[in-house]
Amino acid sequence: MNIEFDHAQWLAGLILAILPLVRPLQTAVPCSCTDLIPDDPLSEAGDWLLRLIAASTLAIIVLGLSGPHEKEQPIEKVGNGAHIVLLLDRSASMNQNFSGRHMGGRASESKGRYAQQLLAEFVERRGNDLFAMASFSTAPIYTLALTRDRDAVLSALRAASLKGRGITNMAAGLSLALDFFTGRAMTGSRIILLVSDGAARIEPEARESLRQWFHEARVSLYWIYLRNPNGARLAERPKNPDEQTTPEYFLHQFFLRMEIPYKAYEADNPGALKQAIRDIEQLENKPILYFEKSLRKDLSAPCYAIAAALLAILLAVKWIEIRTDRP
Amino acid sequence: MTRRTLPARAEDRFVERRSAPETLVEFHYQVSWRSHSAIPGHHYSTQSGGGFEFHGHAPLISHPDPRNLDIHASLNDPFGQFVVRTFRQRSAIPVYVLADLSASMAFTGTRNKHETLAWFSACAAYSAFRTGDPFGFIGCGERIDPNFWIPLRWYKSIAEELWKRLNNHIPNERSARGLLETAALIGRKKSLVFLVSDFHFPLAILNQLLENLETHDVVPVVLWDSREQDHPEWGVIRFSDPESGNSRFLILRPALREKIRAAFRQRRDSITRLCAQFGREPFFVTDAFDPEELTHYFLR
Repeated sequence: MNIEFDHAQWLAGLILAILPLVRPLQTAVPCSCTDLIPDDPLSEAGDWLLRLIAASTLAIIVLGLSGPHEKEQPIEKVGNGAHIVLLLDRSASMNQNFSGRHMGGRASESKGRYAQQLLAEFVERRGNDLFAMASFSTAPIYTLALTRDRDAVLSALRAASLKGRGITNMAAGLSLALDFFTGRAMTGSRIILLVSDGAARIEPEARESLRQWFHEARVSLYWIYLRNPNGARLAERPKNPDEQTTPEYFLHQFFLRMEIPYKAYEADNPGALKQAIRDIEQLENKPILYFEKSLRKDLSAPCYAIAAALLAILLAVKWIEIRTDRP
Repeated sequence: MTRRTLPARAEDRFVERRSAPETLVEFHYQVSWRSHSAIPGHHYSTQSGGGFEFHGHAPLISHPDPRNLDIHASLNDPFGQFVVRTFRQRSAIPVYVLADLSASMAFTGTRNKHETLAWFSACAAYSAFRTGDPFGFIGCGERIDPNFWIPLRWYKSIAEELWKRLNNHIPNERSARGLLETAALIGRKKSLVFLVSDFHFPLAILNQLLENLETHDVVPVVLWDSREQDHPEWGVIRFSDPESGNSRFLILRPALREKIRAAFRQRRDSITRLCAQFGREPFFVTDAFDPEELTHYFLR
C-alpha cells in the first residue's frame, strides 16, 4: 500500500496528539483527599482508554487534514477479446444531416450524433473487448487508452458527440489510432473502427507510411461510412472519378489496395452494424494480459468517519461527566 | 446556653465570600483531670483553697481558719487538737485550638470546611471566655502560621476577631505538618486542646502528633462532609487533590460508591481507635458543627 499526502505539512500537527496523554480530559473537581478513594482498576483503565481515544482522534483528524490517498497502481488483469480503437471523425462535415433513416427516422440528426449512438450500441454489445478511443478533425485527439471500463468508453463517446470542427485529416487520425498498438503484445485481433463520412484525401507519402504501419501492427480496419444525403456509394464507381468530388471512393480504393483485412459498412444499411459486429466476433481471440491503473483512493473521508465515531464516544463520556460536586 | 450576636456583616455580601454565622454559641466543656493551676476557675483542681470540695483535715495551727473548724473531728482527735476542714479550689485550665490550615480544608461540600473551622474556633474562644479560661489559637500549614498564632491569654473579644481573620483567609498550604511543632508552643501545663482538622493526613503523622501532645487533653475534632463520601451512582468524574496536586479519574457506579463509603467508614474507625489510645474518642463533625452536640460529647 502506497500512501501519499496532499498537504504533508499538516502532519506537523500530529504533535497535538500528545496533549491528551499529558493533560487530563476532564475538568477536575476538588476533593479533600484522593488517597482515601480506593484503587479502582476499571477507572484507571478507562482513563487511559479515553486518553488514547482522544489522542488517536486528534491524530486521525490531522491525518485527514493532510489529505492521504493511495497512489495509483497498475492492476494486472486477464481478459480475452479484440483490441478495438474507436476512431471518430469530428470534422465540421460531421455536423451535417445524415441520410440514413433506419434509427427511427430522425433524419435531422447530425452525423456525429448518429456515429456516437452507433458506437455506443457497438460498445455495449462487445463485452470482452478492450476499447480505446481517439478522434480527429484537423489534428488527432487522444481520448482514452485501451481499457475494459465500459463506463469510461461510453462517457468518452458522449463527450465526443459535441459539435465537430475543422477539416477531415484522416491520415493523422489513423496514425494516432495505430499508435495505440505500439509496444503491446499481439494477444488478440487488432481493429481500428473508423467512423467517418470519408470526405478526406490522403497524401501519397502518408499513404505509403500508413500501409507500412498497418502491416507492421497487423491491424484490421473497419470503416463505418456515414454517407451524405447526396454522397456517393463506396461500391459504385462514380461516373467521373475525381479525388476532389468523390474522395470517399478513392479512400475506399486505397484501403482495399493496402492488402490488410478491411471492410467498409455503409451505415444507412440497417444490417451494416450487425454485420460489423458479427464479423468482429468471428475473429480469433487469445487471452490478453493487460494492466489497468487503479483510481486514486482518497483516504481522508474514512479518516474523518473514524474521527467522528471516536468523537461521539468522547462526547458521550463528556455528557455523563460530573463537573462539580454541587448538583 | 448564651447567645451573642456577631457584629453586622458588610453590606456587600460578595466581598466577603463566606456566609457568616449569625450568632456565637457557647458549648460547655469539662475535663476529668485536676488542674494544677492556682488561678481560680471552673475546673477541678489539685490546689486547696476556697471551694466546696472537701479535701481533708488539718490542725488549726497549720490552717488558721476557725470558720472551717470541724467540731466532730476535733473531739475525735486523739491529741486533743483543734482540727479544721480543708477544701480544694476550682481552677482555670488553658484552652487551645490547633487548626489545620492545609488546602484540603478549603473543600466545599454541603459546607465549606474552613468556614466551619472559623465558626468552631470562634465558638471555642467565646466558650473559653465565658468559662473563664485562657484561650490560645495556633493555625498550621506546612509550618505554624504566625498570622494565626494567638498566644494564651484571657481575651474578651477574640472570638469575633478570630472569626473575621479566618474568614478572610483561604487555606492553601500543601500539608498540615506544622501541627507537629505546636507542642513546643503550648508548653508543659496540661491544657484542653481542640485539634481541628479533616484528618486527611497519614495515620503515622496523627500518631506522632498525638504523642507530641500526650501531656495535654486532646479533643480531636474531625471536620468531614457527607459530599466527600457520597457520590452520584453513575457518571465519570475527575477528582483533584489540592494538597498533592494528584488527580484521579473515576467511573462512578454503585459498587465503587459503596467502596468509597466503606473506605471512609474504615478511616473513621482507624482514627477513632488511634485517638482512643491517647485518651479521647474524636468528635466527628459531619457537615454542620452543632455546639450542643459538643457539650454532650463532654458529658459522655
